[in-house]
Amino acid sequence: MKTLEWKSIGQALSIVLKAAVLILFIFPFLWMISTSLQTLRETMAFPPTWIPASPQWGNFVEAMNAGPFLTYFKNSVVVTGSIIILQFLVMIPAAYAFAKYKFPGKTVLFGMILLAFMIPGQVTFIPVYLMMAEWGLVKTLLPQIIPFVSNAFGIFLLRQYFMQIPEEIIEAARLDNASEFNIMRKIMIPMSGPALATIALFSFVSHWNDYFWPLVMTDSAAVRPLTLGIAMLRETEGISNWHIIMAGNVMLVVPILLVYLFCSKHIVKAFVYSGIK
Amino acid sequence: MKSKWFTLLSIMVLFSLLAACGSGGTANTGNTGSAGESPGNGTAEAPSGGEGVTTVQFWHSLGGKNGEYMDALIQRFNESHEDIEVVGTFQGSYDETVTKLQQAIASGTGPDVSMLERAYVQMFADAEVLEDLAPYLEQSGISADDFTPGLMGHSYFNDKLVSLPLNRSTPILHVNKTLLDELGLSVPTTWEEMKEVANALVVKEGNEFKRYGVSMPYDTWYPIAMISQAGGSFFNEDNTSIGFADNGAGEKVFSYLKDLQSTGALYYPPAQDSGNIVNSMFVEGKVGMIFQSTGSIGGLASTVDFDYVTAFLPKDEVYANPTGGANVTMLSSSKNKDAAWEFIRWMEMEEEGGLEFILQSGYLPFTKQMVESEQMQELWAKEPNRKVAYDQLEFAVDTNKDVAWPEIMHEFFSAIEAIMYDSKDIPSTLDTFKKETERILAQ
Repeated sequence: MKTLEWKSIGQALSIVLKAAVLILFIFPFLWMISTSLQTLRETMAFPPTWIPASPQWGNFVEAMNAGPFLTYFKNSVVVTGSIIILQFLVMIPAAYAFAKYKFPGKTVLFGMILLAFMIPGQVTFIPVYLMMAEWGLVKTLLPQIIPFVSNAFGIFLLRQYFMQIPEEIIEAARLDNASEFNIMRKIMIPMSGPALATIALFSFVSHWNDYFWPLVMTDSAAVRPLTLGIAMLRETEGISNWHIIMAGNVMLVVPILLVYLFCSKHIVKAFVYSGIK
Repeated sequence: MKSKWFTLLSIMVLFSLLAACGSGGTANTGNTGSAGESPGNGTAEAPSGGEGVTTVQFWHSLGGKNGEYMDALIQRFNESHEDIEVVGTFQGSYDETVTKLQQAIASGTGPDVSMLERAYVQMFADAEVLEDLAPYLEQSGISADDFTPGLMGHSYFNDKLVSLPLNRSTPILHVNKTLLDELGLSVPTTWEEMKEVANALVVKEGNEFKRYGVSMPYDTWYPIAMISQAGGSFFNEDNTSIGFADNGAGEKVFSYLKDLQSTGALYYPPAQDSGNIVNSMFVEGKVGMIFQSTGSIGGLASTVDFDYVTAFLPKDEVYANPTGGANVTMLSSSKNKDAAWEFIRWMEMEEEGGLEFILQSGYLPFTKQMVESEQMQELWAKEPNRKVAYDQLEFAVDTNKDVAWPEIMHEFFSAIEAIMYDSKDIPSTLDTFKKETERILAQ
């Protein structure tokens, strides 16, 4: 009887804690949505307005009309989409080789990948920009794509995952004359779905939200992504129209939420799986 | 095993750094070479606009509403000029634009014309990447006297005219007249009056301040204004040290501010987003007066529900105020200088160019012709708050002009933080700042 009571107290406690964490994370998000529906006067009020008197849906229209939003959106989709596809083409064979092959210089090469993982974009952007300018690519979307074709973090994560796949399965496939390509396609990829989904989501979120890299790599609206379009809603001096900026942010975030809804199951699995091991 | 990994990693770090330096160097030299001979890029673009159309790249930092006004200006220019097409591009905040210019100039992909926050003009002029505009001015029959004198402070460098005023602002006192009237107070014109009014505005319930007297954003602008008002100057005359230490101006300014802060007469906001905090508090009547840019007049006027007026920053020994905002510059690397100049000339001088933009945005009129124009006079009659901003330019003085200003600015921010937030000893903080400034200026 006693233990049961303790259990339910523990459960109640865990629910309370979870709720607290949930509120902590969801609060800024709700505030963003609320602000996106307020008037300028309401955004400036103190104490803050929680629920707008009458939702200003027009803010979204205004945010969209402030610049070539469709171009920005298209650029964001093309850049993020290409990065993810290209990353997978490079990452899967690389991770497979690092996980399952023995070859000279393997540790050095893998060390170099880890190294790439540790160097932030702020260190490399000037040489990369100069290189892109020399190749005449500044007016295209490529400077936002090429530097990210190889995803060091992805290779690292996927290699760990591939290493858990038993050697016997691969041996068996080889005995049946399966090509290396087919081993990757029919064994490695299907068996690492959760890891791939995780990497894809991380990659998607970080490139979709990226502000710094596109800012330094682009010179014209024609090749700029949504994040820069939204930054443009801010006033340089004077009073910032937070309601318009937040309307832009809501539109920026919606695709991430959609992708997350589709990927969330896989991601949880990926973490649970690696946790057990 | 572990140590082996470590050596391996450190060797690779070393190599990659060397490689980075090496490639940076070669790329640079490659580009200084190609900058001269790379009309490959320029000519490739020019025909894309059609036959005989010259494309002028113009970088600016205007977002939001002001960005829309700037886009409209560019469109008006393009419609009235068949042979020139200006492509305007927003490049982020003033600071981000500076970063982008530095990298673009190095790689030969810079624009023809760029907006430049006035305090950075010296730095770029010193690097000799800005075109001397004096010959162009002469060629178009324009005199430097045609411009508003208070706004030309950052235009010259080593006797070269390297920039012209564009979207310029200045700090000003914004007043909640309704509050002051309720208490029978008049708008302060001196530091003494300011102290009385600000203290009278304070409402304290228990240990909590319900209302403060005056506030200002966390910025170097306002202390610099007050230093000049107290008879000092930011740098000394030959730019070897600061000009507010030995004459006591710095100590006077900061002890005045600390004194106000101690009674709640001054609310000094947290650094992050301080401009918005100060504006909100003013709109909500939580503070009676604010020091803030003239760029806020339009926004404040449309949101407040009380009698809102502007006034000169109060004087101590003299009236004084620095200026802010940005200038327009032509880059020496431009291959379309005549077209670029036509754009600058049109923007500065023509009615449908700059005047229209200034009327819409509320920035300060930068030519005498603009000031005298009917439209400006009409606007001022309707919104006297804007006229005050212009009138104050009579006392505009910029004393923080130096190539090293961007670096010294960070040190000055640290000094402000130490005094305003941590209540550090004023003389010793200023002394540290003075030494640091002298070290940087000596470099």
